[in-house]
Amino acid sequence: MRAFSLIVSLLGLSALALSNGSALAQSRITVYSAGPANLIEALAKGFKAQSGIEVGVFQGTTGQVMARVETEAANPVVDVLISASWDTATDFAKRDRLVAYTSPNAAQVPVSLKTETAVAQGVSALGIVWNSRSGTPRPSEWADLAKPEYRGLVTTPDPAQSGASFELIAALRAKHGNWTLFQALSANGAIVAGANAQALNPVLQGAKAAVFGAVDYISLAQQADGETIDVIFPASGTVAAPRPIMILKWSRHIDESKKFIDYVLSPEGQAEVAKVYLMPARSDIKANRPLVKDLTLLTIDTQQVYAQRKEILGEFAAAMGRK
Amino acid sequence: MTNEAARHQVTAAPLRSIDVGSLLRAATVGALLVLVGVPLLFILLQALFPHLGSGSLAEPFSALLPSLLDRSVAGLLLNTLLLGTCVALASAVFGGALGVIRATIPIPYARVWDIVLLTPFMIPPYISTLGWIVVLQPRGYLQQILGFHLGPFLFSLPGLVCIMACHLFPAVYFAVSRSIASTGGELTEAALMSGATRLQVFRRVTAPLALPAIVGALLLVFAATIEEFGTPAILASQSHFEVLTTAIDQRVASWPIDLPGASALSLLLVLLALAAFTGQSRLIAGRSYVTISGKMKSQGASARRSTVVFGVTALAMAALITVGVPLFGILATAFTRTFSRGLTTSNFSLRNFELLFSNTGGAVQAMGLSFGLAMCAALVTASLGVAAAVLGRRRGAQGFDALGALTALPNAAPGVVIALGLILAWNQPWLPATLYGTSAMLILAYSCILLPYAARYASAALTQISPDLEAAAMMAGASPTTVFRRIILPLIWPSVAAAMMIVFAVSSRELVASILLAPVGAHTMATYVWKQFEQGSLGLGMAMSAVAIAVTTTLMLIATARRPVRMP
Repeated sequence: MRAFSLIVSLLGLSALALSNGSALAQSRITVYSAGPANLIEALAKGFKAQSGIEVGVFQGTTGQVMARVETEAANPVVDVLISASWDTATDFAKRDRLVAYTSPNAAQVPVSLKTETAVAQGVSALGIVWNSRSGTPRPSEWADLAKPEYRGLVTTPDPAQSGASFELIAALRAKHGNWTLFQALSANGAIVAGANAQALNPVLQGAKAAVFGAVDYISLAQQADGETIDVIFPASGTVAAPRPIMILKWSRHIDESKKFIDYVLSPEGQAEVAKVYLMPARSDIKANRPLVKDLTLLTIDTQQVYAQRKEILGEFAAAMGRK
Repeated sequence: MTNEAARHQVTAAPLRSIDVGSLLRAATVGALLVLVGVPLLFILLQALFPHLGSGSLAEPFSALLPSLLDRSVAGLLLNTLLLGTCVALASAVFGGALGVIRATIPIPYARVWDIVLLTPFMIPPYISTLGWIVVLQPRGYLQQILGFHLGPFLFSLPGLVCIMACHLFPAVYFAVSRSIASTGGELTEAALMSGATRLQVFRRVTAPLALPAIVGALLLVFAATIEEFGTPAILASQSHFEVLTTAIDQRVASWPIDLPGASALSLLLVLLALAAFTGQSRLIAGRSYVTISGKMKSQGASARRSTVVFGVTALAMAALITVGVPLFGILATAFTRTFSRGLTTSNFSLRNFELLFSNTGGAVQAMGLSFGLAMCAALVTASLGVAAAVLGRRRGAQGFDALGALTALPNAAPGVVIALGLILAWNQPWLPATLYGTSAMLILAYSCILLPYAARYASAALTQISPDLEAAAMMAGASPTTVFRRIILPLIWPSVAAAMMIVFAVSSRELVASILLAPVGAHTMATYVWKQFEQGSLGLGMAMSAVAIAVTTTLMLIATARRPVRMP
């Protein structure tokens, strides 16, 4: 029995040592954020230095963040939500879950990147990520990747797992009026490979030559870090994914949350956004990368395509030979 | 227990034993219900009541049938069964052969080999799979060194089966080698003296006696395979081989979220595990596996030199393939400056480790948290596993063993589902106090997910102890507590210790539940690594993995270097 009580007291001790939920600072907000961990951590740190308000961060993919919000819906703890897909902001607004707030710092944010209840933190775009040591010619257009030079050397993220990928295939389908491009890609041996990282990693090592529709900022950062890759935005057009930041209605720290949004949209906050190679939401902040005005953006009726999400994904899967 | 039954017991046994016994039973049942019953119950409720997450029981059953009758479900189920069976068979062949070699041939430094062959188990499957990929894929390290690649094989079903078997075979290896080793030498000697050949002894004595441990291990492999997510998700995305876990993840991790659908598919997985468990109990029922009867054990016979060389070569080859290849992939990536420039001397760099140890992104805290949580999970699962096994044994083997079933259930619920069940349960608004949002949730999750390991090892070990030993001690006046402390525990300790090591190793790198349950602001090693991969810092992620593997392996070495408990 001595061993048993030893175990019990050990457990009690470890539980005490490990639980960090008890001694909370008095003013503290909880932020769930998709996207780069270093960005949200830098924002949390900068905000605390400026306001004294602690920021608790949960960071995951948009899917993981949304799953956590959904499962916690009965007893929510999240105050501010940053998603990588504008669709979630639309959906949450429709379900009356968001606080209406327009930050004074949002004056410099283009109208297309803000609504009554959400404003973009930053914007990413999709492009072709190409390995310059792959022995293939540098592609410049989506359709190039269906050419024989890239036979069996192209990956694309699964649009079922990524909002931005979905918008890209929906926009390209709307533009061409058919799935010919994707049928040609599939015939050329292109594969649909999970999330963005799974599509990108084979290209980094050179097992594949190019990603069709990769998230740009991750690869721009890798390129700056010395990886032999290039990010190419086709002149025929691509899609941009603004990343909405929203305050949840159930929050008990709405004032602090508003201050956090003010900070994210301040010149310092937007400089952090630019540092991770995202496009800043504000048009007056400089960034070391192509900005929205440098890109051709495909137009897309988001409401309509999201209403047909299942059909479009089904047609895409058929075009790519995935039944 | 009715009063009359209780009185009957009082006359049959000393008073103290009832107190301890019923207390133990109540505590074990209670703990198992909280740990396993509650999250699974909430998954069931979620499948039945689609709006449970918002605290509402509206529209019951509206989502269950559509989810289950979906055209794709039959295919998912078939793929899952096919994969589970193939991996279990491959592990049985591979791990079984190695286990027999380890137990029957006096291998020098046998314990070192055990540690080496435990390593595949300690490398997280998603990291190991990436290790295999960066070595075998076109332009991977294999091609950079030897000029050829195994890309087409890697991304096929046989490739998937082989890689998963390389991760999971240690379960069979340890079960087989341990149970053959503990097979009483006197049985073998008796058979030999009666004129049996060594082969006959193996076929008629050793193998049948090892059966419960082997079947238990195969069940573990089958269940671990059908619940594994990372490897199929990474490898099968190219071969379009979808299984239940990847389909569940699809419903949980991509917007729009379909929790009822995910819960329905999870219920299918749980049913598969139940079926496997019942099958296993049937197979074992009605036979005696008693090998530890308190009589003297003889030393193993010495072997010829050539046999020893053969044994060492076999173990070395196995280690080279299952440990060497993925580890090389991990280390090569960790020690290069950029991934795209490959294996060149100018690309060699310690930068990833410098970043790691300058605490980039809280790497050091992540390690501390993971090891602390893993230790707690090992203690919880070992205590509960032993308690459940002891209670299950008292009840006898006939009939449906509810405690045993409860301990085996989590095996088939993927980590993501356990995590969701835990959130749904512990975040109910009417709870007066909750662990939600603390690290204790991770201990609950790891303990729930890994309980089957501890329980299986403990009950397999108990099956081999003769009830005569207990009876003899009782006759000599020992209380049940003393019997447990002085006889049962020392005898099953090697198995329990092995189970604790496995629980420690697996929980210190558990990924999926950690992502969903980690308290706001905290990282575990696995979530840290995963974040690096996701952000394209493959090298930094691999550096963390390398450190994690090194630390867990060292701990295992220390744990096994000392002889844990002496035989009384």
